[in-house]
Formats: sequence, structure tokens, C-alpha cells
Amino acid sequence: MKLKIDPLKCICCGLCENACSLNRDSVLTPMSSSIILHIDDKADYFGLVLKTKGEGVVLAKPEGVTTAQQASGSGGTGAKPILLREPCDLCGGKPKCVEACPVQCICAEG
Amino acid sequence: MHLCGGLSLYLRNGKVGVFDLTRDESSEQPLEEAVSWDTVSSVFVARSLAEEHGEDSLVLGTGLLTYSFVPAAAAGLARGPLDADGRERIMPILGFAGSELKLTGFDFLVLKGKAQVPGYLWVRDGIMELVRAPEMLETNSWQRTDRIRADQGDNEIHVISNGPWGDKGALRSQAIVDYWGGEDKVGIGADLGRKGLAAVAFRGMGELDVAEPEGHFEDAILLMREHIEKLGRNQGLASYTDVAKRDDFKQIVHRNVACYGCPFPCRSFAKVEEDPKEFRVLSKEPGYLHFDIPALEKAFEVGLDARSATKVLIMCAKAGAEPTSVLERMKSTGPPLEAVSAVLSDPSSDQAVAQIDSPPGNFERSFEDPEQYRICLGLGLCPRYWAKVGFDMKSIGSFAEATVGRTLAE
Repeated sequence: MKLKIDPLKCICCGLCENACSLNRDSVLTPMSSSIILHIDDKADYFGLVLKTKGEGVVLAKPEGVTTAQQASGSGGTGAKPILLREPCDLCGGKPKCVEACPVQCICAEG
Repeated sequence: MHLCGGLSLYLRNGKVGVFDLTRDESSEQPLEEAVSWDTVSSVFVARSLAEEHGEDSLVLGTGLLTYSFVPAAAAGLARGPLDADGRERIMPILGFAGSELKLTGFDFLVLKGKAQVPGYLWVRDGIMELVRAPEMLETNSWQRTDRIRADQGDNEIHVISNGPWGDKGALRSQAIVDYWGGEDKVGIGADLGRKGLAAVAFRGMGELDVAEPEGHFEDAILLMREHIEKLGRNQGLASYTDVAKRDDFKQIVHRNVACYGCPFPCRSFAKVEEDPKEFRVLSKEPGYLHFDIPALEKAFEVGLDARSATKVLIMCAKAGAEPTSVLERMKSTGPPLEAVSAVLSDPSSDQAVAQIDSPPGNFERSFEDPEQYRICLGLGLCPRYWAKVGFDMKSIGSFAEATVGRTLAE
């Protein structure tokens, strides 16, 4: 199973970040998730960055989805760099980000 | 787990940050544990803190449910001193700013006195710091957000700034959250100006406990799914107001953007400086995030098209001026778009704008009953969303009690 992201469906609600952290640490925080919002709010540019075990970092930008090696693709400047986080473990087969996403931006396939 | 008086405190940090701007001193006090639904409200707590620390205090705070999984649990608030008629002045704080404030480690902030050297208050990780920056008073609200994010090296810092109108203490000033106006219809921008603050900035990296994590998540997502089924397809701001259904408005909408935890966004970003269908970052300032319904109504009422209305709202946001009042003033000063610059740059124009009746609320008018609005906001929930889906205090109450793991008195 892997996660598939359609960035243009994203509405930037942040529920995926919080759901991921809740599953990991049983607390509400955006700081320990494997998936993070990347936002340039003034330009209305936003998408998702996902750290995976097999594909490196998935950069789901509005103009398309690409993957990057873990030495790049920090997800932008900020206090929540993706590289320091644990990779996605698919929540043991029932990904919480997929459950939480209100717009089917994130789907599980395979 | 956060403790208060030996009791576990769920969804709260248990801490109030107090900053004496005159003395440049910060302190903390415990958040009193709420025992009833009245006292759990952030509106109540903000009022109590103002009574304790002085009615001239500016209080920022978050609701019990802010940053929970309850749908649209995005709201914080700012409370300024009472107005001339003794009414409370409360501004909702939405987007991601409300939840970010809660994750700083403080549930509430009390700002007392006046900074001797103008600057901005920088709040993060349970720390409050007054950063001296008198030169910031020469800049507009967008430049303030840019400057603070650059100085502190983080693009996700949230900034509540006042702009030149707030610096002057103008009655019809508007606090701007990051780059957008629409929350402040009560002149909180002027409160910041009177305190010698160009802005309040915060970044949250904290965490919050919840009584039954798995149960909270499952119940909240189930509730959200029920809402989505009931609400149907989202059209951004057009899902909440007919004024956003105009063709010229729809033609410039780029994307619809949610506040934290909202499955049915009311924010529509309109691009006026580049093709609305462009998804790459080509322009750093391509447009404006619309969610200020009264402002958009007024802009169309005075004869602007959607593109011109967007430009006027950008100008007002940069100036920290409340656009409904400015646009009303346009009726008597000539062609609207050309006159906006003159009104915004003329210091004396505020006196004329101030003669205009107070603007209607934006989120305030979501409910016919103002008390319902205060209850909803006081819990940390977006009033616009909850008015749309039907706010039922009984079901929300039991939901909230399960989340915090205790019963609150009626």
C-alpha cells in the first residue's frame, strides 16, 4: 500500500498533519507528523510534503507531484523540517491522514 | 500531560502569559480551571483576565476546542477594552493563527501598558519577547509580516499586525492576520497601535493532550463526514454568500482555502496580478484571500467590479483600514478606486470615516443571536461554519466533555 496525493484537491486544512501526529504520539501537534503542509500563503501556493520509507520525500506541489532524495526537499523554510521526522508507516494499514482528509486529496492505493 | 492544581488539563496548556509592555517584563499565571460551561468560554476568560489586569489590557486567547479534531476548531480571539458604550470588542482569530497561538504554550496572552520603544511581541515555545523595531511603523501590514518571518527565519509564523491606520489609533483601523483582513471589525488594530505594538507574532511547536485520543478522532471524523454529506459541494466563499457567485468574481478565483480543521472553506483566493489558473509561484503578491463578506458586499454596492474590489481590499489590508468604512466614504468622494488611495493616505480622512456607522460584523453576523455567536467562538469553533451546519450546544457539549474527560456544570 502507498499514499497517493492529488495536491490540487488540497484545501490546506491541516487535518492530515494532526491526524498523523495523533497516531504517533497520542497528542495534538503538527510537529511529529510524516506529512506536512507546505504553504506560501501570500502567493496562495500550498501543497503537501510526505516522507516515505521507499520513495524518499514526495513533494505534492500544485504544479505536480515529484519525489526527491532525502538530502533535498526540506518542504521549505520553517520550524518543522520533514527530514528530521519518522517516515510514514501507513498507520499499520489504515492511514489516519486518509481518514481525516475531507476532500480525498490523500488516498491509499495498492 | 499538563496539570493545573493537580488535575489533568486536556486541550489546554494551563498557562496565561502576561506581558507588561511598559516594563518590558513577562510573567505567567496558571489558567483557572473552568467548572461550568459559562466559565470555560474563552470570551469569559478574556473578560476575567481584563478585569484582573486592567480594562486597558489587550487579551488574546484560544477556545477549549481550538486545534482539536472537532470540525472547524480554528478559532481564537482578541479582546480589546470596552467601547465608549461599554460594549465588549471581540475579534475572532481564524486561519491557522488561532491554533498556532494555542501551540505556543499559552492559552491566553495579556498585553498590559505601552511599549516605550515600538516593536513587535514575539511569542513561541512558552517565551514572550518584545522586539524593538521602531522603523516598522513606517511599513504596511504586509511588509510587517514579511519582515518578521524573514527576521525569525520561519515562513509559518503567524502575525497579527495593525498597519499605519492602527499605529494612528484610527477608530476604523483593522488588525490584519498575516496578510488578510476580515476578522477585525472592532478596531483591535488601534489597540495594538496604542500599545506601541506594530504586531504580535507567534509560532507554535507545542502539543496538547486529549482525554481519549482515538475516540476523539473517530467521533470527530464521523461528525465531519455527516457535515460534508449535508453540505454538498464546496464553492469557497460562494457557498456562504451570494455576492461571491457573481461571474466576475468566479472568474478570478484561484483556489479555495480552509482554516485549520475546516472541511468546507469560506476563503477564496482571487488573483488580480496574474492568471487565476496559474499554479506556479510567478508573483509573490498575485492577489487576495477573500472572506470578508460585508466588505465585498459594500464594494459591489459602490459599483466596483470583482477585480477592482480585490485591489481595494489589498490596499485596505496593507493600510490596516477597515474596508467597509473606507468604501462607504467613497460614495461621497468620487470614483471609488481612485479615491481609495487618497483616503488611505490622508491622515485626516479617518475623522470622516469615523463618522460612518460601525461596520457590520463579518463572522458576527453568522448567527442571528449574538449570544450563540459568543458561545460558539468561546469554544474555539468557527461561527460561520457552525452556523452553516447548525450549532447544537447540547451535542457539542457532550462531545467536548468526552474530549476533556470531565463533566462541566450547566
